[in-house]
Amino acid sequence: MTISTDIANTIVDPKAYADGDRVDQAFAQLRREAPLEVAQPDGFDPFWVVTRHADILEVERQNELFHNGDRATVVTTIEADKKVREMMGGSPHLVRSLVQMDNPDHFAYRKVTQGSLLPQNLRALEARIREIARGFVDRMAEHGDRCDFARDVAFLYPLHVIMEVLGVPESDEPRMLKLTQELFGNADPDLNRSGKSVTDVNEGIDSLQSVVMDFMMYFNAITEDRRAKPREDLASIIANGKINGEPMGHLEAMSYYIIAATAGHDTTSSTTAGALWALAETPEQFAKVKADPSLIPGLIEESIRWVTPVKHFMRTATADAELAGRKIAKGDWMMLSYPSGNRDEAVFEDPFKFRVDRTPNKHVAFGYGAHICLGQHLARMEMRVLWEELFARLDSVELDGQPTRMVANFVCGPKSVPIRFKMH
Amino acid sequence: MSAEPFKVWQCRTCGYIYDEEQGDPGEGLAPGARWADIPASWICPMCGTPKSDFDMIEL
Repeated sequence: MTISTDIANTIVDPKAYADGDRVDQAFAQLRREAPLEVAQPDGFDPFWVVTRHADILEVERQNELFHNGDRATVVTTIEADKKVREMMGGSPHLVRSLVQMDNPDHFAYRKVTQGSLLPQNLRALEARIREIARGFVDRMAEHGDRCDFARDVAFLYPLHVIMEVLGVPESDEPRMLKLTQELFGNADPDLNRSGKSVTDVNEGIDSLQSVVMDFMMYFNAITEDRRAKPREDLASIIANGKINGEPMGHLEAMSYYIIAATAGHDTTSSTTAGALWALAETPEQFAKVKADPSLIPGLIEESIRWVTPVKHFMRTATADAELAGRKIAKGDWMMLSYPSGNRDEAVFEDPFKFRVDRTPNKHVAFGYGAHICLGQHLARMEMRVLWEELFARLDSVELDGQPTRMVANFVCGPKSVPIRFKMH
Repeated sequence: MSAEPFKVWQCRTCGYIYDEEQGDPGEGLAPGARWADIPASWICPMCGTPKSDFDMIEL
């Protein structure tokens, strides 16, 4: 079967992701009836929708056959793609980070920061991260018995951690948060720069580009500073990073900062907020972790699977290929749907249940293969430390109103998680 | 004669750590399973990188 226009439109609709159920139902239907099929939403070029866990792994594993950078890495309308290419001298990308690169560049650029983000090297940061986490738990306690966990804790804690790792001063954190939300929440009138629904493509792309330019202006100054006076921070590593013995290109360096400063906290924020939302709705899961903190790593993996903050990436076939018995032609565009892979009934028992003791839990939320999330070890450590500190003091939690999600179809998660709680 | 000390191996792509002493029971590797005894066709359980692209590290 082919994918109906209705389903095709749903899987690219930012409002469907804000709704949650609507997009879950669409992907559940696709996994049942058309797990690997072509969709053509109104205004988009056709693309394959890869919904099954196994097929996502297969595409991600073959990173020479399925490229990131040949076409847009995020699902984009024909009109928006045309506009970006006009602005960027033919390139479909506004930035050129690891996400938009393929080998040999991807490997060379990844190597610049990979070492500092390995578990053994992150250990040195744990004591400081714990101090930051305690500060946020204290602040939560100061709220009394009610807060918006997303806005008061989850958005701010990972932001503070990554900005310290990166070397951005605390006073600039609100600016970084706002720019990140404007970037990923471009379709959400509560978060984007214009404060209204974006219906005009030119306006949407102009708005995105102005956010990117603001980031670049900010990090340009940081680069100059760190080249003159290197410090023990990630910004200094990027500023002084060499590719084949030469300094990084300007666009590539700016893009490196942008991805570290945005993906480095927003995804962890979404996962943390979504975890507490889920725990507030499942008191028996909360009680399990409370009684046995050794379940915290399980809570982390399940919340990453549950929220799956990166909703998709696109790949482009570099040659004719076969995937799950289907013929993929050279140049075909493919959407890897991570929320779908993480609800795949063939891999996860009761995939729509939040279970902190789910074993195994081999989700694809960080991707797979050469492009697997560079910050995954930092994200896990940040969440572990926060949950260790919070569960030591949190006695109960329940929802205090209806949580909401961002209106976005790429990187998104909860926007507000109002809770009532007891702490000691 | 004392037993060979346990070693630790790390995936170059994603940073996954295989510690011979702990093994990885979830992946069917019992505690004490030696790197040399893991088949060459084995791949990193986190990212699919081949066994040949692991490095021995000291923690």
